[in-house]
Amino acid sequence: MAAAALTIDGLSVDFEGFKAVNQVSMVVDEGELRVLLGANGAGKTTLMDLISGKTQVTGGRVFLYDTEITNWEEHKIARAGLGRKFQIPSVFKELTVRRNLEVASCKNPGVFANLRFGFGAAAKRNVDEVLELIGLTEQADQVAAYLSHGQTQWLELGLLITQNPKIILLDEPTAGMTQAETHKTSLIVNNLRGRHTIIVVEHDMAFVREIAERITVLHLGQVLAEGSVEEIENNPRVREAYLGSKGIS
Amino acid sequence: MLSKRRIDWAVYAAFVVLIMIAPLVMEPFWLNRIAKYLVFGMVGIAVALSWGYAGILNLGQGLFFGAGAYMLAMSLKLASQTSLQQGSDKPVPDFMLWNAEPGAPTELCCINKASFLWLPFQNQWFGVAMGLILPVAIAGLIGTIVFRKRISGVFVSIITLALVLLVRLVVIDAQPVTNGFNGLTDLGWFKVMGLEFDPYIVPTYYLVAVSLSLVLVGARLLVETRAGIILQAVRDDQNRARYLGFDVTSYQTFFFAVSAAITGFAGMLYVIVSEFASPTFMDLTFSITMVVWAAVGGRSSILGACIGAIIINLISATVSETAGFAEAWKAIIGLIFVLVVLYLPRGLAGLAHDLVDRFVTRKSNAPAGVLRVSDPSSQLAE
Repeated sequence: MAAAALTIDGLSVDFEGFKAVNQVSMVVDEGELRVLLGANGAGKTTLMDLISGKTQVTGGRVFLYDTEITNWEEHKIARAGLGRKFQIPSVFKELTVRRNLEVASCKNPGVFANLRFGFGAAAKRNVDEVLELIGLTEQADQVAAYLSHGQTQWLELGLLITQNPKIILLDEPTAGMTQAETHKTSLIVNNLRGRHTIIVVEHDMAFVREIAERITVLHLGQVLAEGSVEEIENNPRVREAYLGSKGIS
Repeated sequence: MLSKRRIDWAVYAAFVVLIMIAPLVMEPFWLNRIAKYLVFGMVGIAVALSWGYAGILNLGQGLFFGAGAYMLAMSLKLASQTSLQQGSDKPVPDFMLWNAEPGAPTELCCINKASFLWLPFQNQWFGVAMGLILPVAIAGLIGTIVFRKRISGVFVSIITLALVLLVRLVVIDAQPVTNGFNGLTDLGWFKVMGLEFDPYIVPTYYLVAVSLSLVLVGARLLVETRAGIILQAVRDDQNRARYLGFDVTSYQTFFFAVSAAITGFAGMLYVIVSEFASPTFMDLTFSITMVVWAAVGGRSSILGACIGAIIINLISATVSETAGFAEAWKAIIGLIFVLVVLYLPRGLAGLAHDLVDRFVTRKSNAPAGVLRVSDPSSQLAE
C-alpha cells in the first residue's frame, strides 16, 4: 500500500460558533487524485485554507507524510511540499509568463540567497518543459496580465508544476472556463497524476468524470461519503443531500 | 528583449557620462545646485525601489532622509569652528550653550541631560556610519512589524506618514540636543584624508555624482537579481508568492531597508552640499514631493525616477526665479504632476519605453512595455 501523503485528523475550525469544518478526517495516499465535492458552503475551500495554513485550525491535526504541519505559516507549509492553486487565478501580472515560472522554480526561499543573477540552466529546462505542458510556449515573453482567463489558470497550474510540490491542492481549476478549456485542463491534470498527490475541489461534473478516482463528499462541514465515482453516484445520502434525485449527470 | 535591455543600459551610461562632464560647462554656483538635484535624484531611486518594485508607497521617505542628514550633520557641527570656540578644549555646539542652564559645565558630556549622545559624533565616520545604520534600523523595525502583520497598500502609507510627522515633532521638541526648529546650521566641512569638501568646489560635485552613479547602477542590478524579481512577484501577488514558499515579509523588509539606506545616504550628501540639516526634511510636503518625483519620472524605472527628480527640481528652480511666476510656480509643478498622472501613468520612463518599442519593432501581438492595465481576466473570475 502506498504511503499516506496527507493525513487529516479530526480537523475543525470554529468561526465564532459557526463550525465551517467539523471533525473532518481524511487520508490521501501518495500519488492519489482525490476530488472534493460538495454544495456551496459545504466547507471545501475552508478545508483547503486549513490545510495550506491560510486559516488557523481550532481543532485536529494535519500531517504531510510524517510531519505535522498544523497551523504552520503558509510559506513554511509550501516549502514542506504543499502547493496550492487559488479559486481566483493568481499569477504575477506584471511579469512575463517565463518570469512567472522562473520565480516558481526558485528552490531557495531566502532573500539573501537570491542576491545573484539568473535562475540557472536546470531551471530553464524545467521552465521550458512546463511551458510546453501548459501550452504557453508561444506566450512565454508576454506579460501575464494579457493572458486570457483560461491561460491565466494554466499559468497558475504551471507555477505549481514548476514548484514541484509533493501535494497539490487545486481549488476549482476550471472555474469560468469554456468546454474546450476545461478539457485541456483535465489533460494537464491527468498528466500530473501519479507524479504528485492531487486534491481537487470542483463543481464541474464533466471535469470530475474525466479525472476522478476517489471522491470525498463534504456536507455542512462534515464528510458525508467517500468512494469511487459509481459509489458516490449510487450513494442515497449523497443524492439526498447534494445531488437531488437526478444523480450525477 | 536583449536589444531593448542594451538600449536601457546605453541610456544609463549616457546619463552617467552627462553628469560626469557637467563641471566642464558649469559655474560653481550652478554646480552646487545641480549637486543638490542629483541628491534628490538618488532619493527618486529609493522611492522607485520601494514604490515601483516593492509596491510599498512610503509617504514618510523624509524620515530616512532626515535621519541620514542629522547623523552626519551632528558630526559636522562638532567639526565647525564655532563649536571649538565655546570655551572648552573639546567642541561643544553653540546652541547648547545658548540654552544651557546657568552653571552647567561647558562639556559635551554633561552640558545638558542628553548632550552625551553627541560624544561619539566627534568622530566624523561615526556620523557617517550612523547615517546609514539608523535609517536601516528604523526601516527594519517598521518593516518587521508592519509587513509581518500583513499590513499593505494605503495603510502602510498612512503609518509611514504618521511616523515622519511624529519624529519631526520629537526632533523639534528635543531642542537642547537638536536645536529644534532651527536645525543644525553653521556646519564644518566633510573631510577625507585632508581634502575638505567645500560645497562649491568640483570635488564635492564629483562626490555626489559618483555616489549617484554607483547607487543608480547598484539599484538597477539589485532589481535584476533573483531576489529583485521575486520582490516584483511579491508586489504583484503577495499571497501567490507566499504559497510558493517565499517568506514575503523578509523580501519586503529587505528592500524597504535598502530604500531607507539609499535615502539616508542621500540625506548625508545633502548635508555636505547644503551645509545644514533641519526638521523641514521631515515635513509632510517634502515626503510627498519625493513621491511626485518618482511618479513623474516613472516609478517602475530606477533611472526614470532619478531623472524625474532632477527635472522637476530644475523646472521649479527656473520657473520660481522667473519674474511673473514667482508665486505661481507651485501651481505649475502641480499641473505637471496632474498631467503626468492622467496621460503618462508610467511617467517619463514609460513614454521613453514606448518610443523605443516603436523603433525596435518586434513581432509580437502584445502591446509590449505596457505594464499597468486593468486586468482583462478579473471580470471573468468569480
